Amino acid sequence: MLGPNGAGKTTLIRMITGIFYPDSGNIIFDGKPFDAENDITKIGYMPEERGLYKKMKIGEQAVYLAQLKGLSKRDAVARIKDWFARFEMESWWNKKVEDLSKGMQQKLQFVITVLHHPRLIILDEPFSGLDPVNSNLIKDEIYKLARNGSTIIFSTHRMEQVEEICDHIVLVNKGRKILDGTVQQVKQDFKENLFNIGFSDAFAESELNNELFDVVSASQNSMVIQKKENRSNNEILQYFLNNGASIDSFNEMLPSLSDIFIREVEGTPLARRFESN
Amino acid sequence: MKKILLIIQREFLTRVRKRSFIITTLLFPLLYLALIFGTAFIGEKGQTKLKIAVLDSSGKFTKARVDSANAFDKASTLVLVNETPASLEKDFEHKGYDGFVIIPANTVGTMAPDKIEIKANRTLGTASSVQSKLNTIWNDIKYEELGIDSQKQKQLNDSKLTVQVENMQDKGSNAKIASLTGYITGFLIYFILLIYGSQVMMGVMEEKTNRIAEIMVSSVKPFQLMVGKIIGIAAVALTQFLLWIVFVFLIYNITKSGSAGNSAMAVVVGQAQEVFSSLNIPQLLFLFAFYFLGGFFFYASMYAAIGSAVNEDMREAQSLSFPITMIIIFAIFILTIAMQDPTSPIAVWGSIIPFTSPIVMMARVPYGIPGTVPYWQLFLSMGLLVGGFLFMAWFAGKIYRTGILMYGKKPTWKEMLKWAFK
Repeated sequence: MLGPNGAGKTTLIRMITGIFYPDSGNIIFDGKPFDAENDITKIGYMPEERGLYKKMKIGEQAVYLAQLKGLSKRDAVARIKDWFARFEMESWWNKKVEDLSKGMQQKLQFVITVLHHPRLIILDEPFSGLDPVNSNLIKDEIYKLARNGSTIIFSTHRMEQVEEICDHIVLVNKGRKILDGTVQQVKQDFKENLFNIGFSDAFAESELNNELFDVVSASQNSMVIQKKENRSNNEILQYFLNNGASIDSFNEMLPSLSDIFIREVEGTPLARRFESN
Repeated sequence: MKKILLIIQREFLTRVRKRSFIITTLLFPLLYLALIFGTAFIGEKGQTKLKIAVLDSSGKFTKARVDSANAFDKASTLVLVNETPASLEKDFEHKGYDGFVIIPANTVGTMAPDKIEIKANRTLGTASSVQSKLNTIWNDIKYEELGIDSQKQKQLNDSKLTVQVENMQDKGSNAKIASLTGYITGFLIYFILLIYGSQVMMGVMEEKTNRIAEIMVSSVKPFQLMVGKIIGIAAVALTQFLLWIVFVFLIYNITKSGSAGNSAMAVVVGQAQEVFSSLNIPQLLFLFAFYFLGGFFFYASMYAAIGSAVNEDMREAQSLSFPITMIIIFAIFILTIAMQDPTSPIAVWGSIIPFTSPIVMMARVPYGIPGTVPYWQLFLSMGLLVGGFLFMAWFAGKIYRTGILMYGKKPTWKEMLKWAFK
């Protein structure tokens, strides 16, 4: 889930987790209307603002929070020990949260979020404050959880992470969904038929005013063009070959999610960004 | 329900295991005893013992009389001197006297009371001991002059009328003990409301500033979280009380068994027995527990709402909780009235309205039910308190669920009311 600050991401999440009630509309969970009382134990939520009881011992605290999610004490202890071993945190059990570094707290928070094997995991900026090593550790665990059948809602404005991790994206702005689809499909939907052509020899720009494409920008060895409607790539290639160009590369420029984000939120078309260059 | 129990358990255990809880629970009774005995000790040792020279012109203040008066009361010493007033005035300080009195000759002659002045070069403070000694001697002289023998003296002194108010509805109730009991129980509830009420407030603030609130409310309803915290802290207060009651019971029994050969201790035990027999202890304990819990739930909900509304700044919390603290202090003001006059209208209404009833009713109950507190007043008061805290919990819960996730500027009371009634 993507959206600029104040778009309503956290509010939406709080509705999904039963903290807020929607003014209108329904929340469907697992095919049935959301029932906060029972469904809440199937959800694991890690808010952006992390929080734990600072003076409480870590082991006790994890057990307590797991019990509130419906685990028995014995199950909770066993699972926590398992996770702590995996994250090399065994020695932390009797420490207090206030004695941990920010990154360590983050790991603990993640463990607490997923401890009760939630069907739906909601992570709000899960990597903020983590070093690359721990980032990867968490990322691997997220993949593993997804493979085991959990649905993961990932809320962020870090686009490169979205492209890397997500299958499906939803962009929200001012409390409304403005687009929704798989990463590939969204990119296809938002392509503006831009192509980058590389030349091995300098291609002297002659009269390029034609029916096939518009030039967005050009330099000695490359050119960005926008294909006109109902024209094929072959026609364009043919055109350049006929004009004596030696073509090095010919790539469609799919927009990055970041571009789409900015375009949708600000209404800036992609092509204009290249024009200014 | 299971979740509320978990929350209660955590709130209770984290507090009871704290070193500060153990220390205050143990130290409070000790400090209390130390305070009582300490003030008595200081009161006794801190008094200056006046040594006063007595120049008797009447010739009736004999050495025998002065000596017997001195033997009876050690707080001051009278010394008969045989000097002229002028020489005494000049050097009484050199001779080690704090001051001197001159008994005029005509006092005894006319049998008229007189004002005797202690002359000194500095302010001596109260001279009550000197006054009572001089009066003892003076009485003695009067009796002799009037020819009253010791048996008649005894009759004169012993035949006094003592007035005691007895409420015919409540046999055996003792106004002095009742008012003292009301004072102690009312004050205990007052302390609990203030101390444990602010603990609720700070607990909520801690959850909010640690940002654990959002994690918690994604597992439990905000209302469950608030109620769990309040009940957990109430259990802590109740535990502390129970320990104190056990403590008092133990001390009472130890002093009782140790009082066999000790007259001073026997007096204390006797007084305690008198207190216990004039009060309906089970009824008192039940009502104390009821009003303590009812009052606590009533006020703690409000403190929780305030804690949820403010940020980490204690000053914000204090300024918002000030009106509530004022109401509690006002209840103490009514308590002092109710202690002396438990059936006055302000005491009656103060003991019925839930804002003040937990404190004020405790001042009236020891006077007796149904004599001083008719059943209708008691049940109306209890019913209103239950209704009051249910309403308060609902009301505070509304503020709480909005406030707990609201960061930024401190809301006003008006805004908080809007959260509750929107």
